[in-house]
Amino acid sequence: MKRDDRPESGLSTVSRRAVLAGAAATLLPLPAIGPRRAQAAAKGKMVLTWHTAMAPRWLDPQEHDGTATPDNFLTALHDALIKNSGTTLYDHPALAERYEFAKDAKSATFWLREGIKFHNGEPVTPEDVKFSYENYRGALSATFKSKTEAVEIVDRRTIRFRFKEPFLDFLLLYGSGNVTGAGWIVPAKYYQQVGPDRFKRKPIGAGPYKLASQEAGVQLEFEAFEDYYKPVQIKYLTMKSVPEAATRLAMLERGEADLIYNVPGELIPRVKGNPKLMLAPVLSGSFWLELVGFEDPKSPFHDKRVRQAISLAVDRAAINEAESAGLGRNSGNWINNDVQYGLQWPEFEHNLDKARKLMKEAGHPDGFEVDWLTPLPAYYARGERLVSQLQAIGIRARLQVMERGVFLARTRTGKEQWPGVQIIMHGARIGGSWSNWYESFFKCGAHNAADRVCVKALDAKFARYQASADQAERKQLAEEIQRTILENYYLVPVFRHAFMNAIGPRIAAEKWQDVFPTITSGYAYPWEDIKLKG
Amino acid sequence: MRQFIFRRTCYSIVTLFILSLTIFAVVRLTGDPALLMTEPGARPEDLARVRALWGLDRPWPIQYAHFLLNILTGDLGTSFNYRMPVSELYFERLPNSLQLALSATLLSFLIGVPAGLLSAVRVNGAWDNIGKVVALTGLAVPGFWLGLVLILVFSVWLAWLPTGGKGDWRNLIMPSIALGWYFAASLLRLTRSSMLEVMRSEYIKLARLKGLPGYVVIAMHGFKNALVPVLTLAGVNLVVMVNAAVIVEVIFAWPGIGRLLYEGIFQRDFPLVQGVVILAGCMIVLVNLFIDILYAYIDPRIRLTK
Repeated sequence: MKRDDRPESGLSTVSRRAVLAGAAATLLPLPAIGPRRAQAAAKGKMVLTWHTAMAPRWLDPQEHDGTATPDNFLTALHDALIKNSGTTLYDHPALAERYEFAKDAKSATFWLREGIKFHNGEPVTPEDVKFSYENYRGALSATFKSKTEAVEIVDRRTIRFRFKEPFLDFLLLYGSGNVTGAGWIVPAKYYQQVGPDRFKRKPIGAGPYKLASQEAGVQLEFEAFEDYYKPVQIKYLTMKSVPEAATRLAMLERGEADLIYNVPGELIPRVKGNPKLMLAPVLSGSFWLELVGFEDPKSPFHDKRVRQAISLAVDRAAINEAESAGLGRNSGNWINNDVQYGLQWPEFEHNLDKARKLMKEAGHPDGFEVDWLTPLPAYYARGERLVSQLQAIGIRARLQVMERGVFLARTRTGKEQWPGVQIIMHGARIGGSWSNWYESFFKCGAHNAADRVCVKALDAKFARYQASADQAERKQLAEEIQRTILENYYLVPVFRHAFMNAIGPRIAAEKWQDVFPTITSGYAYPWEDIKLKG
Repeated sequence: MRQFIFRRTCYSIVTLFILSLTIFAVVRLTGDPALLMTEPGARPEDLARVRALWGLDRPWPIQYAHFLLNILTGDLGTSFNYRMPVSELYFERLPNSLQLALSATLLSFLIGVPAGLLSAVRVNGAWDNIGKVVALTGLAVPGFWLGLVLILVFSVWLAWLPTGGKGDWRNLIMPSIALGWYFAASLLRLTRSSMLEVMRSEYIKLARLKGLPGYVVIAMHGFKNALVPVLTLAGVNLVVMVNAAVIVEVIFAWPGIGRLLYEGIFQRDFPLVQGVVILAGCMIVLVNLFIDILYAYIDPRIRLTK
């Protein structure tokens, strides 16, 4: 499944071909690339500076925590049967040269490429695939286990997953490496021999780079894997942890680094002002407003006109400009459109006159008090801007600042813990499917909404969506639900921010998308395709 | 003397016990680390899995008992974030921290002690005024600001020194200055005040009356005695620099213990924070115990004081 979501292309163009094809028995014949020696091609050294400590646990996909962070490391070190890559959301063929998904969604069969190897020279076998799946104990492992009947080794290159019931999201989950780690293949024999702890210290994968050395939390040294099935362009890759953004940028300016992640707003002009550097604003998480308890008739948010007025008062372009140097996107949907069935929605209007008129019609000509507006930490500046913008229509809110962990714990509590009139500014990037967003933030009793948000009619549709084995019907229901939320302003989308990275002069790139072509990851990838000049 | 050592050792053990209890409780008051180990949209079953994996679903007293028993066997636990034994992480970073702390201590000594001495000898003169300005600036300038300015000037503009990370001796220069500057200022002030106090004492007057040359009085009688509190402070500073040079280590991407602690706090990595604090506590308690015993050995009045 592919999507073109790059900012320069304007609104995304959605290809449904793969999805529709998936409804029928999908047979995906692929050009046999075959293994080739990449050693001759690989040359030079690239240094990436990473913005936090580099935890060895991120090198072990078997304990994937469901976050997007390990992406950066897994994509260099490991490989999967199918995965997200470029504009393909989840079924880019990698270690599997083809796959077949049964019509009844009760089995999936994969054929491994000929001659693929792990970094220790051992061949990648169906036994490794079976072990990686059955031994997986990270995010969503319970879902895989409960739905899988058996994993069968058909022959030396073929493996089949059989499910107890139709498992329509199997490919989506299995191939979304930043949702779960079940799809990344580890060498069974080696993993069992050294155990999980030692594996994290000296991991072996089948990805384009093998780990040469590791200083836990500080530095990772990689070397191109000469037996990878695609040519790897750069011989040595170093990832250094540099927590301070100004230091990262200084390293890029001096040529000590070639690629840096997470450039904060105050340093963006310095990158833009340096002709040798290139800014890479990769679209990332979406931000939106939750109007707590909008279904309660006593709440001022109960009136749709008030909710609409709030949306009209939000100056998304100004927030985008101030927070992402204008390089984010004023997306109309609160759900990212790089997930399955994420609905395209036009940008919401900014119109203060109309907003004031609606407030007057709703019986709030002078606005009203909001006890607290609480933004997702550490995006406090965004919260301040919203407080200021809402004042223009008489909504007087106070900013409540929380520590990140406290905020995450509080958002799991219900209305009782959010008394009075409250607004929460959420932000998230969840991969895979739109349904992950709905289940997390909107469903009655959702783990991030509790009883603060609950529209039973939509939940009934969602139940039908989950029960359905018909892709066309699922798509229709998914879009209906999202449309209802947006048309009724149950949630008020703000914008989709850009994860700011920067590229140094040694990297061969005409545009930043040459280094960051994959729309489902904020990080540079595929690593094997990145080249140095000369 | 034996009784004194026994008493002090008991105090040290009680101090460490209180420290272990405090750090155990304080890190848990910060909230649930499972929330930070998953995404904002994480499912309840995944949160439960993470809590069970790390024993966070057990009652606090049981967690504390395990923590204490493990410490007694030398096991400080396994870091949530790194999935590595805390002691291994600590001792992996310790040489880096020692290297930085020693060079910063040396720098602070080379600046602070001579400047303090000069200030005391030329009290209220030009050197003293310069010394006061240096001391005030050193204490007032924040380490993170100084570090960033050093990077901007010496790395970006002049391109003389590498920006950050651990490499050869050149990588050590800027972090040592940024870290040692503050301590140089505090050593300068202490050397000056200590020296002034000593120079007013009777035995210095006697030395002068005996007709000894001024430099002999200052160097042999004054400075030698004034150095005792300065060395004590330098010892404590060294321990602090080893364990808590957080800002400098973060700015210069120096892989030391301070940065490890910072990352642990940021991630609510309970075992890591507990382990680093306990080891730092042990180091400080041992240094103090050693100093106490040394004082008692030098001055018998101390060991007789109850």
